[in-house]
Amino acid sequence: MSTFVQVMLDGLLAGMLYALVAAGLSLIWGVMDVINFAHGEFLMVAMYLSYWLGFLAHVDPIVSWVASGAFVFILGALTYRFIVSRCIGKAAMAPLLATFGLSMFLKNFCLNRFSPNFRILQTTVLEGKKIILGDIVIGLPQLVTGLFSLAILFALYFLMKKTRLGWAIQATAMDREAAELMGINTDRIYLLVFGLGGACVGIAGGLLTSYLAVHPEVGALFGLIAFLIVAMGGFGSIPGALAAAILIGLVEALAGFYIAPVFKYVAVFAMYLAVIMIRPKGLFGW
Amino acid sequence: MQNRKFLAVVTLLVFALVLSASCALAAEKVLKIGVLFPLTGPCATAGQRCVAAVETAAEVINNKHPELDVPLAKQEGILKGTKIQLVVADTQGKPDVAKSEAERLVNQEGVYTIIGSYNSSASKPASAVTERSKKLFMCGCSSSAALTDRDFKYFYRLAPTDKTESHEFVEYIGWLNKNQKAGIKTIGLIYENTEFGKHAADEGKAAAKAAGFEVVVDVPFNPGATNLNSEVQTLKAKNPDVVFGACLGGDYTLWVRTMKQMNWLPKAVLNYCTGYQDPKITQQLGADGNFFMGGTGYSPEIGAKYMKKVAAVEKIYTKKVGVPFDSDSIQEAVALFILAQAIEKAGTLDVEKVAEVLRTTTFDSPLSLGGKVAFGPGGQNMKATSIITQLHDGKYMPVYPTSYAEIKAIVPMTPWDKR
Amino acid sequence: MKTRKLEQKDFLWIGLVCVLAALPLVPGLIGNSFRAHVLILVLLYASMAQSWNIVSGYAGQVSFGHSVFFGIGAYGAGMAVVTYGLTPWPGFLAGAVLAAIVSVLISYPCFKLKGHYFAIATFAIVEIFNRLFMVWDWVGGALGLDYPILPDGWKNFVWSETKVGFFYGALALFVLIFGIVRWIETHRLGYYLRAVREGQETAESLGVNSSAVKISAMAFSAFLAALCGGFFVQYNYRVDPPMVMSLDMSMKFVLITILGGVGNFWGPLLGAAILIPLQEYSRAYLTVLGSGVDLVIFGIIIMLMMIKQPKGIMGILQDLGLGARETKREGEAD
Repeated sequence: MSTFVQVMLDGLLAGMLYALVAAGLSLIWGVMDVINFAHGEFLMVAMYLSYWLGFLAHVDPIVSWVASGAFVFILGALTYRFIVSRCIGKAAMAPLLATFGLSMFLKNFCLNRFSPNFRILQTTVLEGKKIILGDIVIGLPQLVTGLFSLAILFALYFLMKKTRLGWAIQATAMDREAAELMGINTDRIYLLVFGLGGACVGIAGGLLTSYLAVHPEVGALFGLIAFLIVAMGGFGSIPGALAAAILIGLVEALAGFYIAPVFKYVAVFAMYLAVIMIRPKGLFGW
Repeated sequence: MQNRKFLAVVTLLVFALVLSASCALAAEKVLKIGVLFPLTGPCATAGQRCVAAVETAAEVINNKHPELDVPLAKQEGILKGTKIQLVVADTQGKPDVAKSEAERLVNQEGVYTIIGSYNSSASKPASAVTERSKKLFMCGCSSSAALTDRDFKYFYRLAPTDKTESHEFVEYIGWLNKNQKAGIKTIGLIYENTEFGKHAADEGKAAAKAAGFEVVVDVPFNPGATNLNSEVQTLKAKNPDVVFGACLGGDYTLWVRTMKQMNWLPKAVLNYCTGYQDPKITQQLGADGNFFMGGTGYSPEIGAKYMKKVAAVEKIYTKKVGVPFDSDSIQEAVALFILAQAIEKAGTLDVEKVAEVLRTTTFDSPLSLGGKVAFGPGGQNMKATSIITQLHDGKYMPVYPTSYAEIKAIVPMTPWDKR
Repeated sequence: MKTRKLEQKDFLWIGLVCVLAALPLVPGLIGNSFRAHVLILVLLYASMAQSWNIVSGYAGQVSFGHSVFFGIGAYGAGMAVVTYGLTPWPGFLAGAVLAAIVSVLISYPCFKLKGHYFAIATFAIVEIFNRLFMVWDWVGGALGLDYPILPDGWKNFVWSETKVGFFYGALALFVLIFGIVRWIETHRLGYYLRAVREGQETAESLGVNSSAVKISAMAFSAFLAALCGGFFVQYNYRVDPPMVMSLDMSMKFVLITILGGVGNFWGPLLGAAILIPLQEYSRAYLTVLGSGVDLVIFGIIIMLMMIKQPKGIMGILQDLGLGARETKREGEAD
């Protein structure tokens, strides 16, 4: 029984992390209908920033996530300004391909500059700390990351639903031209959305450094899982992303333990297909 | 019109790429050797170190190094002044790229030999190319035993295979049971599900079963994982006495840290040539990496004791990459040394004659553990040895075979909460 | 069947094929050179991209799943040779037929999904196939299948002395696939496909059975992609799941076509003719500058291309006034 609870908890915590990684992608996708293929690489860049801050300036990830978030916000905004805004709306797949080029650039630039070495911060505040309840062990870094994720998702949700900015974003998502006519500077909204999307994944990357090694390939699988989560939750839906992420985390953990670890992603992808067959626009799709 | 300009720029870029092809100037009396490793992709760290090791060997061979006591150091080049020129190429860790780059090296660059290619899955098609065009392939550290089961004539491999390592692991467990009353009965495996990991695990299972141990759990996982929770949880639930591990790079750190987080350890862990041997990773894991064990062909500690001549050569290498040799990279340096020695002995560049020398000679090799290299059937180095070490505060301490042992291994490993 | 009047496009294409077929006659041009390798890859990837173009370009269903079909074809040939010791020929056929069947089974439910939802579903399918093949011992699992050394020739479809055989093999593939697409383009199926792309509801209201049209396009596409896969494994003497059934491989199908021009007959060839030499030469000659530099430059070029002309090379050519007439007549540009 305690094993079952442990497996569920691990899945839940992994899912909460995935939610934070995917939330930004969901936002961008929902509002702009653009696939940001470089999403996983944004995560990697954030992790490198947080690693170097920790390694050179001894700033703990528990603090440096602010810097990572801000940095990737700027990176996202620049990506929109110089890449996405120039090819959006011209041909269906152009932004996807352009961001694919960006992801290749970022990955190999980091490889070239920082070498392909695996880097991990040695002494962080949270490292190795855990809460032990009987047979159940909860890693503190994972727990803190999970709680952060919930807080940030909530803030994002609040921003979207309760503020003027959020309404403007929603209006732009529904009909860009109409929003433009209503006096919304939709170009600026897009810029902001891309930045916000980047900030979410940046924060996730900043926190991840406290327990995961950084290397140029680290973003690949996270990026892929984020795609699934977004499509499964419904493009643009933040509660959808959270629900899908937790579902994926749980399925991954349960299938990994009760079927076989090699099948954990097979189970995740198969579940995605099953869900999408029943609800073709995702769990919370509109 | 902007588009015309843009088109012109792109065309220029493309032409620049193509033109840079032809500017490699050939000096007099050089012997081109292809160096084919994964320089990008998931195995890039290891690949880049291997290249640095080959470069180190080439530097020693090409220049006068009276201070070094290794073969060919005191003279300049081989065959009375022929210098070795390396042509580096990237496999990206992919078999198809390895194959086409091997072809380019052979047909276009006209290399004499290829040294490569770290990943067994890349070495296989690349060496099929050299075999077909009757060129030598010197393989340093690809560990799949299948490579030397193919009866190739021009393929030579230096490192011990995962088969040899598996037998040594099982032998050592038997020894532990007898001499340290370890009481080990069950074995578990965790490995990345790739050509390398799967092959190592298959050999490990076969060896364990042959020696009468029970394999209770078998956990392959996909490399580059976001977490290894279910993998470690599965190990923990079956609780084997010993775990054989084949996890590379970042997965290795993740695995060790996940075990720590889940507060579980087997009595002993034995690693194939993996993240365990990477000095950088060991350093980063700090105290968490302690008491893990693994097969090791070289470490500075072993070198200081049994391979005294390495240290001076190692200085050149460390200048390039900032870490000492590891078991994998040093084999690639050996590969070039042995090739050069064989050519020198044959006195000619005739491939058949050099291959004959390789097959029949026992070479002096100060960079190999045991000091000798001799190739057996299929091109496997019969003198390849690896010893089992245990990690103590960043130092690889030999524990087995007993003739090399420095310390008595700590088995069972100290649990996490007592550290 | 009515004979169709040959158009300028056909003459251009037939002329190109004739020139290519004559290339090995020029001494020293093909041989066993790296140039020949690049040329073969251009033909192969152009064919792959064209097979993708049928369903994703002409019918507008953007699939990231083509590496599955490609992989099934590759395993067909690989298993015929390695597991059963036959020649690859029955493997080519079996792989291609199987790929077509699998594609129908997959696409029947998936075509319900619209736009990006369809794309992501195909993503998931690639990952499932990849991971299942990695643990499936019958197909070699993670160890992959390695070819023994076989005598050169058409019977075994391997050559090591010279690349002329592979070159003609790739050319045959190119002629077959481009020929079929040209045929589709000028026949009823092609018009149906484009009608479905432009508006499924409208097409259906005019009596086009859109789902039958899309599924038959998918089956054609998968069959042809699988043939390319068979060629790929013969060319590389080895197959394992990450080589053929991966998102990387799927991206190549997509990348080349989009770069050249989606839904356009020449797009895949143009894309492959630019991208493949770029990829091969930059890897070969820029590696000396440091690891990853080639891919950094590659990434920058893709970004620049898309920023400057999102319609790909075809779009640039049109801007320059080339091929404009054709576009007007056939109205193919998106």
